[in-house]
Amino acid sequence: MEDAILSVSTPGVDAAALVASIRESVAKKAAAGAYDDARVAVAERTNLLALQGDGDFMEFFLHSLRQSVFVDIGDIEIQEKRRFFTGFFVKLKKGIWALLRFYTYRLWSQQNQTNGILVTALEGLWEKSKAREAELVKRIEALEKRLDGRP
Amino acid sequence: MGAPSRIAFVCPRWPGEGAVGGAETLLKALARRAAAGGAEVTFLTTCAASHHTWENARPAGDAELEGLHVKFFPVSPRDAGRFAALNGRIGRGGRLSPDEEKAWWANGVRSDELVEHLKQADYDRVVTGPYLLSLTRDAVFAAGRDRIRMVPCLHDEPFARLAGVAEMFRACGKCLFNAEGERQLAQRLFGADGARGDVVGMGMDDFACDAAGFRARHGIDAPFLLYCGRREPLKGTPLICDYLAAFRSRTGRDLRMVFTGTGEIECPAKIRPFVTDLGFVDEKEKHDAMAASLAFFHPSRLESFGIVLFESWLAGRPCLVRDQSPVLKAQCRASNGGLWFRHYADFEEEVLLLLDKPDVADALGAAGRTFVLREYAWEAIDRKFRAAML
Repeated sequence: MEDAILSVSTPGVDAAALVASIRESVAKKAAAGAYDDARVAVAERTNLLALQGDGDFMEFFLHSLRQSVFVDIGDIEIQEKRRFFTGFFVKLKKGIWALLRFYTYRLWSQQNQTNGILVTALEGLWEKSKAREAELVKRIEALEKRLDGRP
Repeated sequence: MGAPSRIAFVCPRWPGEGAVGGAETLLKALARRAAAGGAEVTFLTTCAASHHTWENARPAGDAELEGLHVKFFPVSPRDAGRFAALNGRIGRGGRLSPDEEKAWWANGVRSDELVEHLKQADYDRVVTGPYLLSLTRDAVFAAGRDRIRMVPCLHDEPFARLAGVAEMFRACGKCLFNAEGERQLAQRLFGADGARGDVVGMGMDDFACDAAGFRARHGIDAPFLLYCGRREPLKGTPLICDYLAAFRSRTGRDLRMVFTGTGEIECPAKIRPFVTDLGFVDEKEKHDAMAASLAFFHPSRLESFGIVLFESWLAGRPCLVRDQSPVLKAQCRASNGGLWFRHYADFEEEVLLLLDKPDVADALGAAGRTFVLREYAWEAIDRKFRAAML
């Protein structure tokens, strides 16, 4: 029987047990906020479609997304690689950046508002679909009970 | 009926230099074993080398290659633009009208001359694959139910839900599945009628490898994850660099990535210095890279076998695969040779475990190796292949 090929296990190390203990550790760390990190949300950009069916993951992802959604316009370090007139160039760049910030502030604040609204909408949709799923499960269970009672 | 003596293999490309498709590699390996076992084998393929352009890259005609009699036929003219547009729509989960699906098959990779040859020659069996090529479908209908044996390499993807695919599976005498999970998927999609056949897979030959030599040749001292094969979104490769960037930034650990194979790598500029792209390499170099790696990283969800996993295990190294890849996960679970992750958080923990506990990484690799040598020896596969030919 071909099933046997996939049921054979090699003694010595248990991969399933390792994965289970890793998941336990991840759950603890997630609860402690270890993955509330914009970098985690960015890393999952190509994984989202694959994880649509994973309810736990959606909670985790929405949480990470919340951390990365607001663009911090002040979070840019001004650097200068030239060895000569370094101080001058840094000051010049800082001046240009200050002007850019002043003139684009409205744009960025609007973008942050939009991002925030989108995440809130996503969270709302997620909550709504969870509530709907729970209601459907209840109805199915009630129907199954009624069917079980039939002769 | 006795064992069939004249067997034709129909394969979209000759898996020589530059071509790294798993299905092609599998067909060639099965063909070589059948020939070594005494069957009269003819390998029918197209003149194309690139699976992106499918342009005729070599002259049509006969050749003796790697112990096989190979016949090259030109790819028929097609509207590649129309095909790409429809292909994109299917890939995104869009629905096609019957006429559009007909156009998709008509403009896929086909070879009228190859199919004509198949109709006229008198082969006892015709083995073909993978399932989503027009050439395979043409071969299935040209050879007929009794003679055809398909190696589908079926994945759970939108293409598998096309009406023409179900038709093709039902017209097939037998399929040679690579794993039990793949056979079950065929049953779910096409019913018992479309899942006739056996699990055969591919035998693996052991090899020697030189991890230290690889590190010295490429000047890589830091631990690295390895990916070998085509780089494209369907294979999940964009995820590799995203995870590597997050891992390096969050943990501060010097983890590198090495790629072999073909295709573009989407890689953020900040981690480019930590990514080594070796391009297409020969088998020896690939095996050396596997032996030198921390683990083989296979991010694809759509695999029906995963030859590179088995090679990595033979090289003694563990694998990291996605939880959403049923076949690869089943192989890791069965062999105890690898770990599976749902998302970045699992990945980070697993890589840290492999980095911090080399004995665990080595034990996983050793378990994988024992599994391959025991379960995928060619003798066992040959028996299954012969049975599938009856």
